[in-house]
Amino acid sequence: MTKPPYRAIVFGATSAIASAILREITRSHSAEFLLVGRNATKLGNLADDLRAYGANCSIHTIDFLDPTTDWSAIIEKQTGHWDLFLIAHGSLCEQEQALTRSIDVAHEIAVNFTSHATIAATCSAALRRQGRGTLAAIGSVAGDRGRQSNFLYGSAKAGLATFMDGLRHRHAREKDIHIVLLKPGMTNSPMTADIPKSPLFSSTAKVGALGWEAIRRATPVAYLPGWWRWIMFAIRATPAALFHRTKL
Amino acid sequence: MKPSAFHSWGRLRPAIAQRETPAWRHEAQANPGPRLAIGLGRSYGDSGLLDGGTMVDTRFLDRLISFAPESGILRAEAGISLDAVLRFAVPRGWFLPTTPGTRQVSLGGAIANDIHGKNHQLVGCFGNHVPRLALLRSDAPQQECRAGDPLHAATIGGLGLTGIITWAELQLRPIRSAWLDVEWIRFHGLSEFLALSQESTTWEHSVAWIDCLSTGKQGTRGIFIRGRWSDHAELDLHRDAKLRIPFDLPGFTLNPLSIRAFNALYYRRFRGPTKHLRQHYAPFFHPLDSVHDWNRIYGKKGFYQYQCVTPTTAGTSPMEEILRLIRNANQGSFLAVLKTFGSLPSPGMLSFPTPGITLALDFPNRGAATLQLFKQLDTIVRDCGGRLYPAKDSRMSADDFQRGYQRLGEFERHLDPAFSSDFWRRMSRPTPQPRHP
Ligand SMILES: Cc1cc2nc3c(=O)[nH]c(=O)nc-3n(C[C@H](O)[C@H](O)[C@H](O)COP(=O)(O)OP(=O)(O)OC[C@H]3O[C@@H](n4cnc5c(N)ncnc54)[C@H](O)[C@@H]3O)c2cc1C
Ligand SMILES: NC(=O)c1ccc[n+]([C@@H]2O[C@H](COP(=O)([O-])OP(=O)(O)OC[C@H]3O[C@@H](n4cnc5c(N)ncnc54)[C@H](OP(=O)(O)O)[C@@H]3O)[C@@H](O)[C@H]2O)c1
Repeated sequence: MTKPPYRAIVFGATSAIASAILREITRSHSAEFLLVGRNATKLGNLADDLRAYGANCSIHTIDFLDPTTDWSAIIEKQTGHWDLFLIAHGSLCEQEQALTRSIDVAHEIAVNFTSHATIAATCSAALRRQGRGTLAAIGSVAGDRGRQSNFLYGSAKAGLATFMDGLRHRHAREKDIHIVLLKPGMTNSPMTADIPKSPLFSSTAKVGALGWEAIRRATPVAYLPGWWRWIMFAIRATPAALFHRTKL
Repeated sequence: MKPSAFHSWGRLRPAIAQRETPAWRHEAQANPGPRLAIGLGRSYGDSGLLDGGTMVDTRFLDRLISFAPESGILRAEAGISLDAVLRFAVPRGWFLPTTPGTRQVSLGGAIANDIHGKNHQLVGCFGNHVPRLALLRSDAPQQECRAGDPLHAATIGGLGLTGIITWAELQLRPIRSAWLDVEWIRFHGLSEFLALSQESTTWEHSVAWIDCLSTGKQGTRGIFIRGRWSDHAELDLHRDAKLRIPFDLPGFTLNPLSIRAFNALYYRRFRGPTKHLRQHYAPFFHPLDSVHDWNRIYGKKGFYQYQCVTPTTAGTSPMEEILRLIRNANQGSFLAVLKTFGSLPSPGMLSFPTPGITLALDFPNRGAATLQLFKQLDTIVRDCGGRLYPAKDSRMSADDFQRGYQRLGEFERHLDPAFSSDFWRRMSRPTPQPRHP
């Protein structure tokens, strides 16, 4: 008997990290993906890639920031159980400039927190109906402590972490439902293309493989790679008097 | 945007350029000039650099587009690494038609330098296996070029100067195993090397390592390495490198003593005249990939690679002379590689391989002394009708380039006016002054 395909819906599928996670899934599973994003050309390129890797793909374009978007309609568009809901989109703005314009501040929070929360809430309901499955969202090490260089982005990611924590509590008694927060450290993706590279950067292929590993094992909170846990531990443990003298 | 520093593999001196990183094919731009595409930066010299211009970094153009399992034709974006191609292909029973000594090169880079591998004598160059590619030029909308088109022939080995390759098709070759049956055979002198090459026609892959510092009456000592795909039916994939050289090692790490010691150890790594073994493709084809950033062992000053080919018609004496000069100068590093090129022509107008013997050897940068030695070697290469490999070069003369590449005039008709490189600027000057890094 052949195993049924692994079925995933991915919001913000065009993200390089999400793409890498999906490729990783195709290495060990026959897979069926619904790729959700805002740009049909990009989604089409990604679908071709994943099809070559052997997955069945369909695409769906939508405005992530429109509060009237009916997320459950997308989830119910295809019948059957989903093994994974992955929420991946995000944006890292030029913070100094954004802080001077309320609309930019609101936009950053909308992309990195509000839309994640809206989608995650819808997925939580779908999981409850299914009785099983995994919801994973991509947070960031930036959410672990407010730092002068990126606290706008970081605070949205912190909000997401708390939201995912709460969902984990909500589903704690449903033992076949898993809530996973992936926390990549600095990753060499288009989001960081303009940031000078240091040895702390990981490749999307590496982060994708570790991310899939965390999803497969239903790790509640996974630093990618794992050594970021210790770096962030040290950063959180640094007393403010000292921390505020750094340029982090 | 602040300009960034770009290093080539030899790390002699960085180019300072604007960086563009298109994340999707439709985001790549061929305007305004001057610009140049960059893949994974594994070229040694300045052919992959453009100081003061715009470098189009293709690293995120790494998607597959389609794969035909009946024919083995893979269409992929040009920034995909050969490492990623292997990760896709090997479990499905396919392999690269030919591979360089590292998996960390991009599809676009492999085409633009029309790279050669250990099976050149049988299958020709990489460009012999690229039926189609798409080219984005500053003076035309994106176009598809097929084998046989002049623009295809100009782009194969075209050093990135005909525009940006956005995607390409690659004809993979089927394999039943990820393993090779391998033989290591000790030899002395070039005539033994040639004899071994000639009797190895049933071996798909062959190459030789030589100890460029060895002396002795029998001539240069070396190990002839040949391999063919094994029947051992396992399609296991390579692993990631675990080691990394995190910074430039002090310049004295590599000196004639340590290199002599390395070579002696390498030469003695097996007993008796020959050894038979079964090797996975990764250590067989890509031994240096087990350490990330190994180029940093050469220290801050960086290093050169000298790769030339001397034509079959010239016999072995020019290469003997080259080896003698290198030995006397006491300059070469470890891992000198000798290989015979076959006669299958590549479509590429500027392809480097031509029937004969090729030598590739790293040299720590000792400034004027190193450049002086290269000048002497150039004379021999020039006199025997040989040529140098632009992918490895940071100092050849424009004269030698023009003499070595007879189809240059034909190639120049296909240059994209917005594209250039530091190498190309050097080659276009009537009398280039080699800059001391
Ligand atoms: C350890 C090691 C072993 C090697 N072994 C071999 C070998 O056995 N045989 C061999 O032939 N070479 C060998 N090389 C050289 C290497 O294969 C070539 O230099 C190759 O071209 C590097 O590819 P890259 O992606 O790093 O390209 P880069 O070095 O970044 O660029 C190379 C050239 O390709 C052009 N280019 C890159 N992408 C594109 C694109 N999308 N469109 C248009 N132009 C583009 C660039 O402009 C540049 O001119 C070796 C190098 C190393 C470091
Ligand atoms: N790269 C890092 O260093 C790093 C570190 C920690 C966490 N992360 C997180 O990892 C996730 C993936 O990032 P990545 O590195 O893969 O970057 P990426 O490749 O640049 O992907 C960003 C994704 O976000 C989407 N997006 C941006 N703004 C959007 C909007 N307004 N509406 C809808 N979608 C929008 C993009 O869609 P389009 O393709 O349509 O533009 C794209 O899919 C993000 O949540 C990011 O915060 C990244």
